[in-house]
Amino acid sequence: MESKTWTTCPFCGVGCGIVIHTRGGRMAWADDDPVNPSSRGMLCVKGRFGTRFVQHPDRLTTPLVRRGGELEPASWDEALDYVAERLLTYRGRFGSFASAKATNEDAFVQQKFVRLVMGTNNIDHCTRLCHSPSVEAMLDQLGSGATSNSYADYEDASCLVLVGCDPGSNHPVIASRMRRAVDDYGTRLVVVNPKRIDLAERADVFLRPLPGTDVALFNGMARAILDDELEDRVFIDRRTEGFNAWRQAVMTSTVEEYAATCGVSAAELREAARLYASPPPRRGLAAGERPGSCLAWGMGITQHAHGTDNARALINLALLTGQLGRPGCGISPLRGQNNVQGCGDAGCIPDSLPGYQPFAGDVAAIFEEAWGAGIPREPGLKATDMVERIAAGDIRAMYVVGENPLLSEPNLAHAEGLFRQLDFLVVQDLFLHETAHLAHVVLPACSFAEKDGTFTNSERRVQRVRPAIPPVGSSRPDWAIVADLARRMAPRVGVDPRQFAYSSGAEVFAEMARLTPQLRGISWARLEDEGGIQWPCPEPGHPGTRYLYADRFPRGLGKFVPVQQSVPAAELPDADYPFVLNTGRVLYHWHGGTITRRVAALVDQMPEVPVVINPADATRQGIAEGDIVIVRSRRGRMSGKAVVTDAVREGSVFVPFVKLQESAANFLTNNVYDEPSRIPEYKVCAVCVEKKRPRPAELTAAPPTVSRDR
Amino acid sequence: MRVDGRDVEPAGTILDAVLALGIPIPHLCKDDNLPPIGACRTCLVEADGRVVAACHTPAAGVDEVYTGSERAARIRRAVLRLTARMHGPEPDAEGGPRSSELWAAYDLNGVERPASPRRTRGSLDSSSPFFSFDEQACILCGCCVSACQQLQHIGAIGIAGTGTRAKVTPGTGVSFAASICTACGSCVAACPTHALRPAPERPGERLGIPGEG
Repeated sequence: MESKTWTTCPFCGVGCGIVIHTRGGRMAWADDDPVNPSSRGMLCVKGRFGTRFVQHPDRLTTPLVRRGGELEPASWDEALDYVAERLLTYRGRFGSFASAKATNEDAFVQQKFVRLVMGTNNIDHCTRLCHSPSVEAMLDQLGSGATSNSYADYEDASCLVLVGCDPGSNHPVIASRMRRAVDDYGTRLVVVNPKRIDLAERADVFLRPLPGTDVALFNGMARAILDDELEDRVFIDRRTEGFNAWRQAVMTSTVEEYAATCGVSAAELREAARLYASPPPRRGLAAGERPGSCLAWGMGITQHAHGTDNARALINLALLTGQLGRPGCGISPLRGQNNVQGCGDAGCIPDSLPGYQPFAGDVAAIFEEAWGAGIPREPGLKATDMVERIAAGDIRAMYVVGENPLLSEPNLAHAEGLFRQLDFLVVQDLFLHETAHLAHVVLPACSFAEKDGTFTNSERRVQRVRPAIPPVGSSRPDWAIVADLARRMAPRVGVDPRQFAYSSGAEVFAEMARLTPQLRGISWARLEDEGGIQWPCPEPGHPGTRYLYADRFPRGLGKFVPVQQSVPAAELPDADYPFVLNTGRVLYHWHGGTITRRVAALVDQMPEVPVVINPADATRQGIAEGDIVIVRSRRGRMSGKAVVTDAVREGSVFVPFVKLQESAANFLTNNVYDEPSRIPEYKVCAVCVEKKRPRPAELTAAPPTVSRDR
Repeated sequence: MRVDGRDVEPAGTILDAVLALGIPIPHLCKDDNLPPIGACRTCLVEADGRVVAACHTPAAGVDEVYTGSERAARIRRAVLRLTARMHGPEPDAEGGPRSSELWAAYDLNGVERPASPRRTRGSLDSSSPFFSFDEQACILCGCCVSACQQLQHIGAIGIAGTGTRAKVTPGTGVSFAASICTACGSCVAACPTHALRPAPERPGERLGIPGEG
């Protein structure tokens, strides 16, 4: 029997509508959803052909408990009673990672468990590794940490500025909508990226700055706008503060000096600034309407030791030009994971409650009244700090849901050493991945295709997730597992177990909506009738919000913050390690690869980690296309397959952070962090690259190992 | 506007109105995601005395539509018979979501399905691990080209050649794997036959991940 289920794609933050066709209880085919407003009938290779991981034989089907050194099958009661007993002894030395791949409902129940039962705010998720600098900067300068525009605004814009992002690989359906804008409406395109991404083919201006010089570049654009008097004076006067002090800081250098710092042409820098501030109107723009510009950025901005400064410099540009709060303009930190927006909205961050509400004031009291017990009011540890503080003994037990930090943390050998020191580690996931191998208890969770819930995409649209197949094995939805555990522990810590007696995801969502002003008007019933709704949606009759900041910023006035270019990166090339390593992602794999390594066609398409190197460097190193090469940093080594192309600058190599054939870029990356966001500097470290020499047969017969501390 | 004697709102195209009433007429080259192409001519209806393709004729200004009038049905059947001569028999494989439309159109209009494979235009491109292109089943409706160009704005495929030599191709003499195709699969979803079809599932296949599982 064939049936169809309308649900939401589990890969990136675009949040495409996906229709799963099932035949005889198995997923047969994933189709696009013509009426979904975010994807408009499109999908990419992962959404269309990459969901078969759900039924892979590697799926965990039963809880596992470590006995005598081995992980052995256990019943849910055995496993959860054991976890409850152990975790009770680690209150105060406990941290938890939530999953941006799970639903809003899963995230909400988990943060409630951590705050109420474990009595700590040590909860965080992968936003720490992707857009925490953007969120820090936006919260400080504007008062909201979300994408301000909708995807529709990319098509309504007269200019698109893409900085440090590669939508063609990482947000393919957004890339299609951007290509549509350029092809059909003549929208101008500015691409800023050291790597030549596919969209650069269509760019009017393509800037390739030296790695780590972003602040100088955006200050240079600001200087050019001021020189040309293209700033929006009315917007600056009415909507912002701090302009004069910021202006003084920017005026300390000329456009030529800024351009020289970045290694780009001053004329092109001026042209990019002009297009952003005042683009020619796109075809079909109503007469008299001001042409808008959308500014979109990705990890190329954030994953630096000065990531927050980079984001600030971009927000300053948006405030300077008034490219906010109208159709066809806005700022977009492009979200990497399907529910990274929602996981933060639901409160899985250490320094605020659901809806980014501060602990201060009466907010915490409202939560305490609703939950019938006290919650801690000091900010908790951020994800990267939880890991680094294992060494000091501040964190002795962790509960990791739907994340694989031993693929995603920087300097993996160092991270693995820390995770091995934990007294107690619980991992809740689909597969027995690298982190799960170290766990004391492993709990099998349902995938997106087996559960009810909601995801919130990059344009703040809350969309339904619906079960297409029955749970694999005895796996359970994440929220149900955590709620069950919480009920076992609650009476021992003075919490009413009925606080976790949810009968359905809808009930969880209703509680979250009640406590979160921006979601208050949304309910599963409405989502069923109307499809996805974009927050803020403050009351049931509200239609949702296409773009933010129309009349005011949540903090009142937008704040200019002066930023200056600092050292480009913590570790720069030298004689021993002469190349800059830039990490990122590829179209055919999903992040670390825990999921996509289990889709045969995706592995066929890309079986080995590519090491992308410039032809001039390749010639010097004697490397040809397709050679196996070894990349070394001060922290580790990896091997990959050489791809020789001038898409990367001379002196730099690009390696995606997917792990294939036991080789991963994060063995190389540097565990230094940005303040205040604590994001690692994934985008720049120093490496050397050489062609792999054949090894004697007796050495190659052993299984591959990863070398440590080299 | 009235369709087969039933009143209907004249919004969009005649095809929209016909489908809104639940009347099944074939429309092989009209995909939900794409603007009308008007290439396959299988959605012919009689509108105010003229035989037109319903997919790209606006409903506004039309009064009386007959989907099954003797003239419309006769011409539609003739078009479907010509279509049937363009491709081979139904392959023993699962197709994409629209792959049964062609066969349903033949059955509905009393047209015999082709029994023997074609001798020309018989190439098979299975270079992509995600889908294959079997020219045997192609009716040159252009849905795939439109999906690639107008929906996804990639432009990896086109129709090369004319007459009996016309063929859907990713560049000239290039396989899908070697082209700029990103395997988004919009062409596979839009194909109303088995020509572009997803690669079959490889059940129980263990992937080479040493140290896991």
